[in-house]
Amino acid sequence: MARLRRRSISMRLMMMNMLVSGVALLLACAGFFTYDQITFRQGLVRTLSAQAEIVGSNSVSAILFDDPKSAANTLSALRSSQNITAAGIFTIQRQPLSQFVRNGSGAIDNIPALPPNRVESHWFGGAHVELVREILSEGKPIGFVFLRASLGEIDRRLRRYALIALAVLIISLLGAALASSTFGKSVAGPITQLAETAQEISRDKNYAIRVPALAGQNELTVLVDSFNEMLRQLQASHDELEQRVAERTRELVSANQELEAFSYSVSHDLRGPLDAINGFSYVLLKQPLEPQTREAVESIRASGRRMGVLIDDLLNLSRLTSSAMRSENVDLSAIARAITEDLRRSAPDRKVEFVIAPKAEVVGDAHLLQIVMDNLLRNAWKYTSHHESARIEFGISHENGRTVYFVKDDGSGFEQRSAARLFQPFQRLHSTAEFPGSGVGLATVRRIIQRHGGEVWAQAAVEQGAVFKFTLGSSSASVSAD
Amino acid sequence: MATVSIAADSQCRPLSRRRLFWKCVRSLIVLAPLAAGSHDLAAQQQPSESQIKAAYLYNFGKFVTWPPGQATNQDLFVICILGKDPFREVLDATVRGESIGKKQITVRRLSRMPDAAGCNILFISSSEQSRLGQILADAQRMHLLTVSDMTHFAERGGVIGLVTQQDRVRFEVNRQAAEQSHLALSSELLKVAVRVIASKAER
Repeated sequence: MARLRRRSISMRLMMMNMLVSGVALLLACAGFFTYDQITFRQGLVRTLSAQAEIVGSNSVSAILFDDPKSAANTLSALRSSQNITAAGIFTIQRQPLSQFVRNGSGAIDNIPALPPNRVESHWFGGAHVELVREILSEGKPIGFVFLRASLGEIDRRLRRYALIALAVLIISLLGAALASSTFGKSVAGPITQLAETAQEISRDKNYAIRVPALAGQNELTVLVDSFNEMLRQLQASHDELEQRVAERTRELVSANQELEAFSYSVSHDLRGPLDAINGFSYVLLKQPLEPQTREAVESIRASGRRMGVLIDDLLNLSRLTSSAMRSENVDLSAIARAITEDLRRSAPDRKVEFVIAPKAEVVGDAHLLQIVMDNLLRNAWKYTSHHESARIEFGISHENGRTVYFVKDDGSGFEQRSAARLFQPFQRLHSTAEFPGSGVGLATVRRIIQRHGGEVWAQAAVEQGAVFKFTLGSSSASVSAD
Repeated sequence: MATVSIAADSQCRPLSRRRLFWKCVRSLIVLAPLAAGSHDLAAQQQPSESQIKAAYLYNFGKFVTWPPGQATNQDLFVICILGKDPFREVLDATVRGESIGKKQITVRRLSRMPDAAGCNILFISSSEQSRLGQILADAQRMHLLTVSDMTHFAERGGVIGLVTQQDRVRFEVNRQAAEQSHLALSSELLKVAVRVIASKAER
């Protein structure tokens, strides 16, 4: 994989180099050739023009005295110019006085007309250029010189150019390839090394690895050095973080242990005096008492019992926090069913409709989740008790991609702004006389849900019922969450 | 009209396809009157012998240099005809509006040699054959370019003798005679002469 990437990066560099040099060379060749073509054509026309002028001025007398032999003599001087394939001297009436046509060139059947007010003109054809020049005597035209020159030389030059360009192209492409493979290694090598190291680090989480430093001073060395520096900082902060977490954890654990030990001992130590209060108030009640006194002792006894419940709940809460958590498959639906049947049995004459979603299967601690469901369902049961009929639902919904479990009732509800307070220990929204309870239940629920990595919240309105919703952490994903 | 189309066709020889179209169009536009003109000229037929001789007579002037300081007219180039004029109006028509250098050409007809003062070219009519010796002597003294179509004129001491060979008017040049008259003949002229009688120095 890394090897392939390295090849592709140096390959790309090489291709780029070769492309750039190839294109530049071809453009340069095209430019040179165009320039050469233009100058060659101009030069050719100049030479032809000069030759035509010489021939013209040397054939004045031949034309004036109608002497083809002399004209032929003059023309014969052109035979040495190999590129001239045809030449002729014509009278002003365009009658040929003398002409010669080299083998392979067409006869001069007619000479092109000059544009008005021009002494000389030329025409480029496919394979030749033709030039016509007036012959003047005393400023008056008396005839024409016609020259036709082959453009074969242009083709030869083109072929020569193409050969040279091809040779130079091959050489420079080879050079570019060589240069790319040499310099490419020095560029692509470190980059590949960087990429491999980065990959290794993100795979192994090993921040101790370093990229070997490069010699020299350029962007790549800066890159490598910066990369290494970043790694060093990353490692330092990583180590520091680990250390700090460990420290905090140690502190927290000890603080927690102290706290638990404290709350346990407090609860435990409170039990002694309470038992005494309960016991002696019981003894008192066995005695004949004034009705007023009896009522006071009854009140003491009731408060004592309530205090016992509170202490039990507190002990339970602290035990929940410290007990080890197991991870197993738990069927919340089955738990809910068991609890609701239990509730129904306790008050068979209440009209309560239970709706329980099937197959709410999650991963978590069965005992703890049992406590959660018990609290939520018993709350719903309790806060619908003032209504003639009620409906209690346990269901599953999906919000923002999370699976949310809820227990919903249509009981007395509460004000939404008080919702957050509910989950604090001993915080109650209703009086004990209205709805009995210690105020520890929802705090317990929250503690358990938090230990599962989830969260719990409530929505309600007065006399409109309440919904308690909770999620479980990702590790407790619902098995049948659809 | 036939001439036009022929001229256009021959103009439209394959050059390059791109040029071809414009060349044809151009030749049709430009050549049409020209072709018609050359057709007229062709219809006029070959020039007559006296027309050719008249043209030669004035063309000789272009290839000859007269000695400086000669008492000829500064503005005129004078062609004189001695004796019976064989050209009549043909010569006048030929030289009309023509000039040599900046000198305008005029024609004068003489009956006797003393009138030849101021002449550049002296055409001696064959009617003067009997008096040739004296005429040539006078002409040499007056630095005249003597021309005649009488037989063996150059051999007999004339500078340029017109001869007819194979229906073509040609000429012979006597360089010795030219030298004696202090006339410089251009090599261009000698090049087209059928015969050049060399000067004494060359012999």
